[in-house]
Amino acid sequence: MICEPKAPCCSSRWLIVLLVLAGMLILVLCALSGPSGFGLPAIGTPVGRAILSLRLHRIVTGLVVGAALSCAGVVFQALLRNPLAEPYILGVSSGAGLGAAAAILTGFGGAVTALLLPTTAFAGAMLALLIVLAVAGGTRASVYSLILSGVIVSAIASSILMFLVATAPREGLHSVIWWMLGNLQPMSQGQMIITAAVVAGGVVAAWFIAPQLDALTLGREVAHHVGVRTELVTAIGLLLGSLLAAAAVSLAGLIGFVGLIVPHVMRSLLGPNHRRLIPATALAGGVFLAACDALARSLLAPREIPVGVLTALCGGPFFLAILKLRGRKGWIE
Amino acid sequence: MSIPALQFSKVTGGYRHVPVFEDLAFSIDPGTLCGVIGPNGCGKTTLIRAATGLLPRLSGSVSLFGKDVVNLKAAERAQRVGVVPQELSTPMAFTVEALVAMGRTHALGRRHTLSADDRRIIEQAMVYTDVMEMRRRPFPELSGGEKQRTVIAMVLAQQPRMILMDEATSHLDINHALEVMQIVERLNREAGVTILTVSHDLNIAAEFCERLLLLDHGRLVADGAPADVLTEERLREVYHCDVRVQSNPVNGSVMVTPSPRLAPGRSGEGIHVHCIAGGGSGEEILRRLHLCDYTVTCGVLNEGDSDSLTATALGIEGTFEQPFSAIGAQTFVEAEAQARQADAVVICPTPFGPGNAVNLDLAARALEQNIPVFLAAGVGDRDYTPDRRATKTAAQLVDQGAREWQSVTDLFTLLGELIPPQDPSTENDADHAS
Repeated sequence: MICEPKAPCCSSRWLIVLLVLAGMLILVLCALSGPSGFGLPAIGTPVGRAILSLRLHRIVTGLVVGAALSCAGVVFQALLRNPLAEPYILGVSSGAGLGAAAAILTGFGGAVTALLLPTTAFAGAMLALLIVLAVAGGTRASVYSLILSGVIVSAIASSILMFLVATAPREGLHSVIWWMLGNLQPMSQGQMIITAAVVAGGVVAAWFIAPQLDALTLGREVAHHVGVRTELVTAIGLLLGSLLAAAAVSLAGLIGFVGLIVPHVMRSLLGPNHRRLIPATALAGGVFLAACDALARSLLAPREIPVGVLTALCGGPFFLAILKLRGRKGWIE
Repeated sequence: MSIPALQFSKVTGGYRHVPVFEDLAFSIDPGTLCGVIGPNGCGKTTLIRAATGLLPRLSGSVSLFGKDVVNLKAAERAQRVGVVPQELSTPMAFTVEALVAMGRTHALGRRHTLSADDRRIIEQAMVYTDVMEMRRRPFPELSGGEKQRTVIAMVLAQQPRMILMDEATSHLDINHALEVMQIVERLNREAGVTILTVSHDLNIAAEFCERLLLLDHGRLVADGAPADVLTEERLREVYHCDVRVQSNPVNGSVMVTPSPRLAPGRSGEGIHVHCIAGGGSGEEILRRLHLCDYTVTCGVLNEGDSDSLTATALGIEGTFEQPFSAIGAQTFVEAEAQARQADAVVICPTPFGPGNAVNLDLAARALEQNIPVFLAAGVGDRDYTPDRRATKTAAQLVDQGAREWQSVTDLFTLLGELIPPQDPSTENDADHAS
């Protein structure tokens, strides 16, 4: 039996209001929780102010990184028409990992590393992307050759990384592994601002190609026929997605799962229309990561769990339930 | 005369180094409903890709309403030509309405909002193809016919002046195929949209199109009204199968049916054919003889020659000489014995040199025994003997009653004469065997 669903705009408008409210509530809860216990820190004292500022800082980092990763995931899933596409699919993660490890293992002392690490991670990510595009044969390449060369370049970069890790001195080793697990430890103010600007710009730019992304899910030929400049849009999309992922990685290390699953969940809730999906996913990804980070900070306080561990552990079951319920409104194949 | 909607001027194009067409030239007038037909691999779909600027490295030019397709901006091109593909799929659950709205992609402004005009166009398109009631349903869940109607609505929303249909009805049952064609025909009649439909279905093409273009191996073989293009003889040549062309008793259009009437005549069961080949000239003939159940022998061939490999692969008996050596007296006698038992001797378009020219003498011996000989015409062009001995022998063969053939189809028509007329009751068996 086919029942006529309600007009999608009305039901989803309510859903958006609901999601925004839930997001704000979650962010407030995040600000209230931390290793020093649940509740508003005493703002009157300098210590309290420092704690609150630290928490807000981490929330903003979570928002920026989560938004970047999940927005990149949306773009890649549309361009590659593949449900397993995620921000790291074109080798960005392993390139960044290699760059970061190189910085950590060769960096002289903490001060240099703090500046060097994000830069080399970003450079490594971009280099990996360029190699992948060159191997696949440019943006005209088929989806399969793009994914395949992404996997190959990732594998090569990973083995070099493994080699570096295996031969690394003990103190460097810990930093590398900690970085690979991903965390939202405070970075310098300047770096935060730069990354936030890059991510905001990337999300807005991705929104500008939203109708073209819609059309590209029908295949490149059909998109061409309805008047999309497919090569240009594909190139822009792949670069944007990788740029967003690289920005996120350089700030917070390798955080998985967010970029893969948040797009799917939001698509199943709001439908596949990218004009709506891109901003919604960016917000949801940011809130989700901020919430995970709050948990990571407070669960085993004073010890901190790497946030990359918690994203899948907590998010997995929750998102699985949503997909089970509403999956057929998002990805059908 | 107005500017043609679509014009191919001496277009050569294809993939990598294999040209699909060479020097293809034709033009379609605006407001017409034309069909492109032809066997698999004749370049029909490539033609559509070329018309929308998707085919790389083209020599010659393709123009849409007077402007070269290469110079058109994406949005301009989308306003001139829309394509209904064979099948459209998206992994994502877009609603019918959202999918139809994608037809307006080229008209969207910077803010991605649909204007009131756009909405009206989208609604009209959905009404036109009768998908209005299902506009909130996810596209991937529709049936084939509903999907195709949605896709046509999408192309209509694009408001192109010309619509190309790329096998758009081949996945549909007859009812839905007709429905789709009726929509398109009405669009052509009422809105004056130029339609070019590429189709496998000769009958649908004949019924709806005012003009048909018949393609074969990237060449335009025929161009004109359906009744002039669809003739039994031409279709047999292009499709390599026997068909019957009649006038449809209901609406008077041309009707093509694969003809089982001639099929029994294609089975060569019990007929022994000896093949003289070499250098790959017999590969296709051996294969088709084998397929049609003839008893086949061949020779003399050199071992390792591509024809002898084909023969071995098909389990065909033959007389073989050592690799790269001239045919010896001993093997000649063996082959002669084989040829004498045959009901016919076929000489393939083989190049003849001093080493294998004696094979023609083999045919001469067979002819003396009143065994019919079928000779590929044009031996003179393939004669590499110093004294042009092969050409002379071939001429003698023709004098003595050997019959010449041009194409493999000709050859099989000639061989068909050897097949005894069959009892109608055994028709099905023979049909099956062929």
